[in-house]
Amino acid sequence: MAQKGFTRRATLTLGAGTVAGLATPYFRRVRAAEVLHVNTWGGIWERAAIKNLFEPFTRDTGIEIRPVSPVSFAKLAQQVRSGAYEFDVTTLGAGEIIRANQANLVEKLDNTDLVKSPPFAGAAFQNGASSHAFATVIAYQKSKYPNGGPQNWAEFWDTQKFAGSRCMQRYASRILPIALAADGVPTEKLYPLDLNRAFRSLDKIKPAVRVWWTQGQQSQQLLRDGEIDCIALWHARTLELIDQGQPVEIVWNQAQIERAYWVVARGTPNRDNALRFLEAAIRPERVAGFCRDSLNGPLNPAAFNHVSAAEAARMPTAPAYKDKVFEQDILNFGGDVNAATQRFERWIGT
Amino acid sequence: MSAAVTASPEKQAGGSSLKSWLLLAPLMVFLAAFFLVPLAQVAVMSVTDPEFGFGHYVDIATDGFHLRVLLDTFLTALVVSLCCLLLGFPLAYAMAAAPGGMAAAMMVVVTMSFWTSFLVRTYAWMVLLGNRGPIAQFVQWLGFEAPELLFTRFSSTVAMTHILLPYMVLSLYGVLKRIEPSLPRSAASLGATPLSVIRHVVLPLAAPGIANGLTLVFVLCLGFYVTPILLGSPREQMVAGVIGQQVEEFLAFGEASAMAMVLLASTLVVLGLYHRRFGLDRLWG
Amino acid sequence: MRLALILLGALVLAFVATPLFIVVPMSFSTAVSLEFPPPGWWTGYYSAYFSDARWTRPTLNSLGIAAAVSILTVLLVTPATFALVRHRFAGKGLVNVMLMLPLAVPHIVMAIGYYAFLADIRLLQTFPGIILAHTALSVPMAFLVLSANLKGFDRSLERAAMSLGASPAATFRHVTLPVLWPGFAAAALFAFVQSFDETVVALFISGRDTETLPRKMFDSIRTTADPVIAVVSTLLFLAVAALVIVPVLWRTLSRRRSESRP
Repeated sequence: MAQKGFTRRATLTLGAGTVAGLATPYFRRVRAAEVLHVNTWGGIWERAAIKNLFEPFTRDTGIEIRPVSPVSFAKLAQQVRSGAYEFDVTTLGAGEIIRANQANLVEKLDNTDLVKSPPFAGAAFQNGASSHAFATVIAYQKSKYPNGGPQNWAEFWDTQKFAGSRCMQRYASRILPIALAADGVPTEKLYPLDLNRAFRSLDKIKPAVRVWWTQGQQSQQLLRDGEIDCIALWHARTLELIDQGQPVEIVWNQAQIERAYWVVARGTPNRDNALRFLEAAIRPERVAGFCRDSLNGPLNPAAFNHVSAAEAARMPTAPAYKDKVFEQDILNFGGDVNAATQRFERWIGT
Repeated sequence: MSAAVTASPEKQAGGSSLKSWLLLAPLMVFLAAFFLVPLAQVAVMSVTDPEFGFGHYVDIATDGFHLRVLLDTFLTALVVSLCCLLLGFPLAYAMAAAPGGMAAAMMVVVTMSFWTSFLVRTYAWMVLLGNRGPIAQFVQWLGFEAPELLFTRFSSTVAMTHILLPYMVLSLYGVLKRIEPSLPRSAASLGATPLSVIRHVVLPLAAPGIANGLTLVFVLCLGFYVTPILLGSPREQMVAGVIGQQVEEFLAFGEASAMAMVLLASTLVVLGLYHRRFGLDRLWG
Repeated sequence: MRLALILLGALVLAFVATPLFIVVPMSFSTAVSLEFPPPGWWTGYYSAYFSDARWTRPTLNSLGIAAAVSILTVLLVTPATFALVRHRFAGKGLVNVMLMLPLAVPHIVMAIGYYAFLADIRLLQTFPGIILAHTALSVPMAFLVLSANLKGFDRSLERAAMSLGASPAATFRHVTLPVLWPGFAAAALFAFVQSFDETVVALFISGRDTETLPRKMFDSIRTTADPVIAVVSTLLFLAVAALVIVPVLWRTLSRRRSESRP
């Protein structure tokens, strides 16, 4: 059932399959009963998750958690189809959770407490457990722009005034709204997205984009090594670089706030433990600790009881940024997210 | 079975045909099951996924995107092959001309490069061409702004040339070494200029090696996956990268398979041309 | 002209050797990622490599896979090579083509083929799956090496042993094998290296617990680009150097020894 896409070809491989199939039981790795594999973004994100989410969970339940990286939406789709699981739980942004539900890649949460007696409003969204908010911000090399770099997306797009190479995430649903903002659409009127206009806007910045990053650590490496002058990346990765003393500036104006969710890969043999992890991961004190260390903003309001005012001020959910930032409205996207992603990927390659 | 009649005592046939096939059977069964079947699966997927038909091939021929990628790939492979020839010829020539010990030392360097994983060499080029690498720093030291070398067509071409160069050098060395050293000398003594010695004596004799090297490099370059992805420009993808992406990102096996079949066919055409002129068994010899 | 060509050749040789001069110093660098010349020196990335299971496990995986591949390849290729070199039979040309085909098909084509195929037979991301795929891809090189050796083998040795009453099995064990063992070793080595270095197919069919070293390196170059990659590269250089230089030295030394004999 899970590997529907492949069964059509099964006849072809029947002969070879029998040979190898006979040998399989002898080779198959014996899966340890109480291990959970959780996908992480590596770096600061992973360290915060291990300390505040994984280790407490293991202390409570005896279930060992092993981090797996990199995070890849494609892997989630692959493993559900091929039946070979690399992770049981993964973390998805808003655009991806929509795509994952469309493609039926995540376990339903209908029968869990997250839905039946939610700990806070919106604890479950599209079969994901609401974890934290993060921002996509503008960051630039101070040395490249001594008098200040681009302060909004329109200026980020302006390669005349702010000459230099650009870098953005290879993530359609995150970049398309930004492209509209750069084209002059007020950030409160972005949705539903005018996709054609967004792609026309992207055409203008394309020649300047040297790399489309896919991993958080990659975006940091590119910035640290000076490969790119100006980048759209996550606020937490930027703050970490600044804390390390890198000559990098962060721009909060027009930062795009997005939510991240924990989901369970559909069909995983560790489904029950994975669901337990989801419920534990959004408990106030745990998500507070995770967000404190990973510089994100907790979505569970009760978490703020465990966060100091100084810590809260660095989070993208802080009141100081409220008037500067805008939030994604994925349910009002303005088209099929998956089709837009396909179009975006092809657009990048041409 | 007619071969049996003319079989020399060295190569007994008849009964040994059965014996041969028994000896061959394990490998043949293995390759059929674990090589031909997966390969056939690609061919089948290209016309059945998601539905039966030749739609993917029609798309490739008509939608512009795929043809551009294919053309780009061919051009890149051509440029890389020619770069390898231009760089490889002097090196192979120097190796063939050098005295024994020196030639052996040069051979060690080339062979080591040949055996070194191309990931290692790709990484080395990322360091070299990076914004904080030696080339950029040297340019800055001269007082210019550091050039953007990484993630361009230039960087991937340089790295692929470097990676494939040993194939060219080893192919050329094989033929250059066999050229009688006295031949160019006697041509020179008959009054030929050095340039015309190379043009009229060395090059014709080296032609099979040149064809060999060009074919190898071109074919390997057509299917290059890792290096263009890691240090090439996102806008100039090669066929292999597009195939991989279709599978990895979108599980679009049909489209990827159709592209793969086109890539395979192109490779086989090039190899076929070589085979008609020189015989394929010499290519990897 | 000749001199110019040779000088140019020397320059190209330097170009060929460049990565060595980059990667080895880089492995002792304190740089966080791509920075050269190194801002400082230490051996910290060596300890990082040897103490991090995220690097040691893929290394061990690759060694194990490559060992299995080299054994399996030699076992399969040896009888076939004997048949092809020593016998004539109908369909020989076809068999030859079949044996060389894995060398002609681009790896990306096989990568998607294996991906779908191994998923069908539930061997995706398993060691047997990777070993089977790598073995198929190693066949041509092992065959080329072994057949070159076998063609050079003087069969009168075997005939002499047989005429003295040795059974075919005993002849193989006591005559053929001792003479041909460098050929077997070379074929096994080629298969080993082929598997150990293979990246494209492994990227698609290896998984979390079966991750190979090239796949780990690929991911690492793409994300952190830290000098641990340089450490691995340096170690691989050393291994290759041992493989390339030791036989050359051995041959030179043994030639000297035989020359110095009266």
